[in-house]
Amino acid sequence: MEDILAQCIEDIKAGRSTLADCLGRYPSMRQELEPLLRIALSIQKPPPVTPSNAFRVRARVQLMEQIHAERRDKKAWRSISVSGVRQTWYAGWLKTVAMVVAIVLAVSALGAGTAYASQDSLPGDTLYPVKTGTEQVRRLLTIDDISRVELELRFAGTRLGEIEALANKAPDRTPMAVNGYEKNIAMAIEKAEQTRDSGVSASLLEMVSLGISNHLSILDRVEDGIPEAAKEAIKQAKEIAISEQVKALRALARKNPVRAAEINIDTMQSRLNRARVKADEGEFAEVEEALRQFEQLRRFGEEISQIANGLGYGTTAVDGLNARATSAQLEVLGIIYGKVPEETKGAVEEAMGVSVEGYGQAVKGLQERGALNDIPEEPPVPEEIPDDVKKRILKPEPKGSGNGKS
Amino acid sequence: MQGERNTDITADINLLIKGAVGGDADAFGRLYDMYVDRVYRHVYYRVGNIADAEDLSQQVFLKAWQAIGRYKKTSSPFLAWLMRISHNLVVDFYRSKKDKAYLDFEIAASDSHSSPERVAEMEFDQQQLRKVILQLPVEQQQVILMSFIEGFSHAEIASSLGKSEGAIRVILHRALKKMRNMLEGERGLD
Repeated sequence: MEDILAQCIEDIKAGRSTLADCLGRYPSMRQELEPLLRIALSIQKPPPVTPSNAFRVRARVQLMEQIHAERRDKKAWRSISVSGVRQTWYAGWLKTVAMVVAIVLAVSALGAGTAYASQDSLPGDTLYPVKTGTEQVRRLLTIDDISRVELELRFAGTRLGEIEALANKAPDRTPMAVNGYEKNIAMAIEKAEQTRDSGVSASLLEMVSLGISNHLSILDRVEDGIPEAAKEAIKQAKEIAISEQVKALRALARKNPVRAAEINIDTMQSRLNRARVKADEGEFAEVEEALRQFEQLRRFGEEISQIANGLGYGTTAVDGLNARATSAQLEVLGIIYGKVPEETKGAVEEAMGVSVEGYGQAVKGLQERGALNDIPEEPPVPEEIPDDVKKRILKPEPKGSGNGKS
Repeated sequence: MQGERNTDITADINLLIKGAVGGDADAFGRLYDMYVDRVYRHVYYRVGNIADAEDLSQQVFLKAWQAIGRYKKTSSPFLAWLMRISHNLVVDFYRSKKDKAYLDFEIAASDSHSSPERVAEMEFDQQQLRKVILQLPVEQQQVILMSFIEGFSHAEIASSLGKSEGAIRVILHRALKKMRNMLEGERGLD
């Protein structure tokens, strides 16, 4: 009975047989078999529940920290038993002294009320230096790498709030907050990169990259809701966010190229989605801007593949991800192409060309490693794209050849 | 074609496992990236709330790291091994809980094309099934979950639990019979 039940379940689940077929094959057991099979087949896989990105990254960071701490403890124990002296004790003592001095200085220099009141100030306000001074004290008080990176990301978030407030109130001062944002993100990346444990460092870089992706969505929203005169500073902030994203992902790629490629693809997709929304709204300059950002990230995707290649691992996975992402990208670009006027179509074609070029590189790499599998050699250009455009995208004219009449 | 891609991935995973067994924390971190969703989903199904699922999933990977030196690739797939650690932690979690609140859990019906009445009915059925599964003896529970929720083959379950395939089929049969009795009992009470 056990064997028949198990065989029937496997056959039905694999589509080789139906419930009626199975029951028909074993009529004498039908009475016992049927209710058991019905129960077995009614157990459904639950809908895909996924943990939040915040949890994934936090848990990874903590896991790496614990692994690192365990190793440190083992080393420290060995060093105590050998020499009886722990050098780290001295460094820890120095840090404690630094903390106490910083607290005393901060409390004496600022009244608590002033420091509190400064938190709502904006760049250019009288109290703003107090706000940045308080942040500096918090930096001094934050010793461990994880908290330090989190702190810089929190400060970057504060800068975004300032950018939004200034864009509405005093657009001429917005660049000051944009500069502050750039510094905070740069510090977060630097700190994450410098973290000694490679696993923790990778998780922190991932945290920064995901944070920047989120910042880009915030900046999109801010840009849509502010007066035209203030938009230039937001565009600049987005350029900075993209370029810092590339830096963070480049550093992450040296530790975990596959994860870097995944985040890069998600960021590219967010730029394409932005272009699509703006095409729907008839804001074609914004479409072109989002497409330029997409192209920058798409080209960077090839660099991730080169980094993986240099490391000697993950190249197949990275190329596979890049090739597979092309299909979705070209589909969205095809939709955008159908919505924009003639003068914007060139920008869409260019983005398609970059996507196709990246596809070609990925396919070449996969072919060289004999890992093309089900990925088609030809890029999946949507059918609705006119033939002449398809030709241009698939075989771009060499640069400097003009209109092909040289 | 799909099979070839799976072969590539399996080769990558084996390399990572080898690295992790040798003490490479980076390799273990990448295994974490690959499996955290599956472990979380398994734990979430059994505990029914995000906070406990997050806490237990984190513990699974820490335990796995601490025990990775004892992992033998040939004895069971890595995911099955993680599931066994998850299972043990969830069992300990149940033991520490005096009430049965973890049984109250909403399983959203996945078929969005069904009528609201049908969706409600499906949710109710799945909810009832989940309650019954979680009341099975631990071994039967594990076989049902690994077979129907995680999609492991009987051979994989057998190697993971250190039993023969025949023994797994017997456990499966007993589990389904017990579920039938419990469901009939519940319906009798309605």
